[in-house]
Amino acid sequence: MSFTQILTLPLTILWSVSACSGAIDFPSQVLPVLEEHCFKCHDERKQKGKLRLDTLSPDLLKNRIAAETWHDVRDALNLGEMPPEEEPELSREKRQVLVGWVNQEIDALIEAKKGTGGRVVLRRLNRSEYQNTMRDLLGIEHNYVKDFPPESLSEDGFRNDGSTLQISDLQMEYYLKAAREGLRKAIVLGPKPKVIREEFTKTVKDKNRGSNILDKDQQFIVKLMEYPEEGEVIIRTTVRAEQAENRGYPQLRAAIGYRADVQAPREFIKSQDVVSEDWQEFEFRSRIENFPLPSKTQSKFPGLLVWLDNAYAEGRDKPLKARGNGKKQKQTEGPLTYPQIEVQSMEFIGPVFEQWPPKHHTALIAPRKSGENEAAHVSKILTKFMSRAFRRPVDRSETLPYLKFYQSIRPTLTSLEEAMQETFAMILISPDFLYLVEPSSETKRPLNDWEMASRLSYFLWSTMPDTQLFKLAREKKLRNPKVLQAEIERMISDERSWQFIEQFADQWLDLGAVQRVAVNPNYYPKFDDALKTAMRQESLHFFEEIFQKDLSALNFIDSKFTMLNEPLAKHYGLTGPRGSSFERVDLNTKDHRGGILTHGSILLGNSTGEDSHPVKRAVWIRERLLDDPPSDPPPNVPNLDSTNPDFANLSVRDQLAAHREEASCKDCHRGIDPWGIPMESYGGDGLWRDKILREKTKGKGMNKLPVETETTLPDGHEIGNIADLKSYLLENRKDQFARAFTSKLLTYALGRRLEITDEKDVEGLTGKFIANNFRIKPLIQLVVASETFQTK
Amino acid sequence: MSRKPWHLHRRTFLRGAGATLALPFLECMGASAKTLPRPKRFCSIYFPYGVSLPRKKDDSAKWQWFPDAVGRDYRFNESLKCLEPLREHLSILGGLSHPHGRKIGGHDSADIFLTAAELKGGQLKNSVSIDQLMAAQLGDDTRFRSLSLSVDGGVGEATRSSTLSFSRSGQPVPALHNPRVVFNRLFGKEDRSLEDQRQELQNSENMLDLVLDHSKSVRRKLGKQDQNKFDEYLQSVRQIEQRVERSERWLDVPKPQVNAAGLHLDADDKTPGELIKTMLDLMYLAIQTDSTRFLTYQMGNMNGATSIATKFPSLLGFGKNQHTLAHGWNKPRGAEALGKWDRFRAQQLSYFLQRLQDTPELDGTLLDHTMVLYGSSNSNTHNNTNYPLVVAGGDELGLKHGGYHRFGSDVPLSNLFVTMMNRLGMPTKNFVDSTGEITELIA
Repeated sequence: MSFTQILTLPLTILWSVSACSGAIDFPSQVLPVLEEHCFKCHDERKQKGKLRLDTLSPDLLKNRIAAETWHDVRDALNLGEMPPEEEPELSREKRQVLVGWVNQEIDALIEAKKGTGGRVVLRRLNRSEYQNTMRDLLGIEHNYVKDFPPESLSEDGFRNDGSTLQISDLQMEYYLKAAREGLRKAIVLGPKPKVIREEFTKTVKDKNRGSNILDKDQQFIVKLMEYPEEGEVIIRTTVRAEQAENRGYPQLRAAIGYRADVQAPREFIKSQDVVSEDWQEFEFRSRIENFPLPSKTQSKFPGLLVWLDNAYAEGRDKPLKARGNGKKQKQTEGPLTYPQIEVQSMEFIGPVFEQWPPKHHTALIAPRKSGENEAAHVSKILTKFMSRAFRRPVDRSETLPYLKFYQSIRPTLTSLEEAMQETFAMILISPDFLYLVEPSSETKRPLNDWEMASRLSYFLWSTMPDTQLFKLAREKKLRNPKVLQAEIERMISDERSWQFIEQFADQWLDLGAVQRVAVNPNYYPKFDDALKTAMRQESLHFFEEIFQKDLSALNFIDSKFTMLNEPLAKHYGLTGPRGSSFERVDLNTKDHRGGILTHGSILLGNSTGEDSHPVKRAVWIRERLLDDPPSDPPPNVPNLDSTNPDFANLSVRDQLAAHREEASCKDCHRGIDPWGIPMESYGGDGLWRDKILREKTKGKGMNKLPVETETTLPDGHEIGNIADLKSYLLENRKDQFARAFTSKLLTYALGRRLEITDEKDVEGLTGKFIANNFRIKPLIQLVVASETFQTK
Repeated sequence: MSRKPWHLHRRTFLRGAGATLALPFLECMGASAKTLPRPKRFCSIYFPYGVSLPRKKDDSAKWQWFPDAVGRDYRFNESLKCLEPLREHLSILGGLSHPHGRKIGGHDSADIFLTAAELKGGQLKNSVSIDQLMAAQLGDDTRFRSLSLSVDGGVGEATRSSTLSFSRSGQPVPALHNPRVVFNRLFGKEDRSLEDQRQELQNSENMLDLVLDHSKSVRRKLGKQDQNKFDEYLQSVRQIEQRVERSERWLDVPKPQVNAAGLHLDADDKTPGELIKTMLDLMYLAIQTDSTRFLTYQMGNMNGATSIATKFPSLLGFGKNQHTLAHGWNKPRGAEALGKWDRFRAQQLSYFLQRLQDTPELDGTLLDHTMVLYGSSNSNTHNNTNYPLVVAGGDELGLKHGGYHRFGSDVPLSNLFVTMMNRLGMPTKNFVDSTGEITELIA
């Protein structure tokens, strides 16, 4: 169980009771209650839930683990989880003694640790932050992290936890490599390159695939014998759509590569909906190095190929089994069943630049002024780049080693630019760039303006501060509350705040789960794997809508709308937008949708790919919405052995009930399973169902089992279905949800796990979050304004 | 390191390694097998959640992973039958486990498969894994000291690490998971001239020196807690300095030429069959080209919640995800379903071992010079005892094979590690909790 746990209403009351009564003594008051009610299951004989109390130190100040355990004990008491129903009830007075004592000790702990507790840990940029920062620092779109090992998750499920993020020589190697690759693009060498510009109106014939009409299989393909190998290129094309009835818009996509006979190697530039049936111009931009280019030495596939195709997804990513015999079905007559694109012309231009050397170059290497000597010039370049890379001003003593390095390598290289590429690479592997370095001493101190700028930008943008934040830091205005408030507003309305949503919402809700489940086509023959991405997008856009429109976060529990695009709306059986981008769709009761619990991302992500997984779904609710994760399963979980020969034919609910008959499972699972059972109305594919399919144990075919959703929650509430569950959460658990959301946001904002010493902050923020009608923007303002965010 | 004169020639001759290849270097060099130093290698392949171990003597019994009788005359059950052709080059071991592992959670034990450590305290600190220990002592003669691979890549989280390798300070060594990245590291060609590369490596060396100097002053300004965190960075810089020096030494030796056709370098978690096979091919190629001698590959970890390997059996048509399959180890239908998955995994092993066995080296084969440890740290799921283990190869290094041996719980798995290290030429008395050697495996 996590110690950043819930505080329900009764607890708040108890807290204040304890605060005004006199000190509670452990040996004379607490110990007797423990002996009477708790030791039976938690001493040397038995340690239910892996908990032993008789040897647990009552010195919370000195023993951190004991402090966290007592904190869990208190929460279990407050939630009414302990003592369990079959044991004698704890009187109100005795409960107050236990809870009051823990609160009193935690208060003392918070007071004692005021100066040092809950410090933000030195944190390196994680994968996404590094990627965004490099892009913004160098001004070059490029995948800087493609070779990097994946990042670890913290216990709370976040990827920006300073203590979890490790570093290794392998990473250092890739940091250096990525820096050099990026710098070779950002700093150009040599004279202005020749611009290739070629226009095409006809496709190359390639077996049966070349065509000016793009449908499911036809592509428009052109070949360039002369092409640039570096720099940004533009593919500009004039096309029109031929819409098909009851289908989405066709999607125009461009790709560059060199082999037409196989799918790879080629890469796509993202697709765009073609809405109009009139001729219209589209433009794709990308850097040519991001694509597989023909090798200079081999001649088997000479020339560069540029494709246009129609990425309208339906049926594209379906499992092979469900795709039919694979034979092409040519449409001859009758109304169109697949939306098409007609290509009139395509123009290839590249490399494109508005000036030479390009702006991204001159932004890093300012031209030398007349009369300026080289050392002064280089010094100026270094100071400017370093202060942006280190996100703070640098003085002469700091630039000196880099200047020396520059001078040592300059004679071996032909130009200042080449020597600068290497010198900048050195800057990009130094700790001041890779880490958010915040010098500190034994006691806490307020952040300076520069540190504040970085904390803000990595919190709300997942990238480095922009010019304005740097400007305000330089003017020492960032710690002015009014300025700060206005900055946060600006940052939230900036499009970079999508990077916050993509990080925070994804990690809080674990949206990556859909990619870890394989959907079984025997159960869901119509399921198209491209829907997994759409499901994740639905939840991200849903978060964005609630956040940006300043709606109540209670919409996560239940809402009258969701965010859909054409394929996902079709999957859900709803009328939605016709295009591939996500739009708000209003919901009716009969749609059986609303709130995050009905999102495909959560339903599929917490399924087996064949059926629902009520235990996973239940754990998801407790972990993500209530911040009350159940403890891990014990080392040797007994098998759910099929003593009952009909076990496989039981409904999920009955199987789980049988499961809970086992004494060893019961303790935990009675607090878990009931949360998942009301969601049984949704299959693994996220769709509403009235029958559960299960493969027959003997012979072929499927059994159909009834859907059963009635259950009793651990606190005794009877729940009939998903609607009941949602209204129960809204009525009885909304404060707990508020606290959970606040804790998650604060954890993410600080980049560290919360500790007991953060208790009061979480408490205070939660109260204000509720008072502000559960709106996220004011909560962000409050988090940033908090002392814990603004100190090191 | 003193580069052996034959290294250069030998590498120059390696060609088309995707296909079969006879090493012509012996003839070309006119050297006799006896005078050449024997390469000594270790490779470990790990799979999660244990195997099928039905107790009943009915139809499901044939899916019992372990053979029925011990000794040389054992008969393979269904799941390991594919290893029959290699029987004389491998041993099946039963009953072994890490004593420290028996005390921890059923899904927590993958981290200590090669370390035998007691994961202690809130930090769950690990200690060195045998591959890294071996590489530190014996890894000087190859371009890469060691190679750590896994399905998930990176380091993962403590108790759910996505790597088998841990450094001497107990830090997880990140595993590579993308076949193309592995290929490029081992065999990728540089476009630029040797001179440019040398210049770049020298620059790297200088800049790392300067960065290290500068970092020491950064460290002084940090709080205590942050200093500890920062030491990871300093450590990495020192290590990469060594790596750069090594690259400089190897610069004049061209990377081995390997034919990438037939390798599915774009395989990922959506195509698990190709992904696993490609990783094994790359390991084979790394061994065959003598690019490294110490390799680990984690074919999935026990993090059901985040591992992309969880869905592999479902995608490959084995019906259920990895964890659910594992729970069937003693159920009538479950044992069969899991057994078939066990067989699939054993077939991957068999494919890999056979490739090593089919490639001659000195007076034997690559397999004769490579000790392969294959297994899991669960017997059946959640159970941290009686690891299912196959030890193969290393015949020319002093291992003896052909039997199925069972041990009591008083024999720690570390005894096997000590046995292997001694055969590799690393005189070792103890490793963590070892009590001796496994004499049954000593020739």
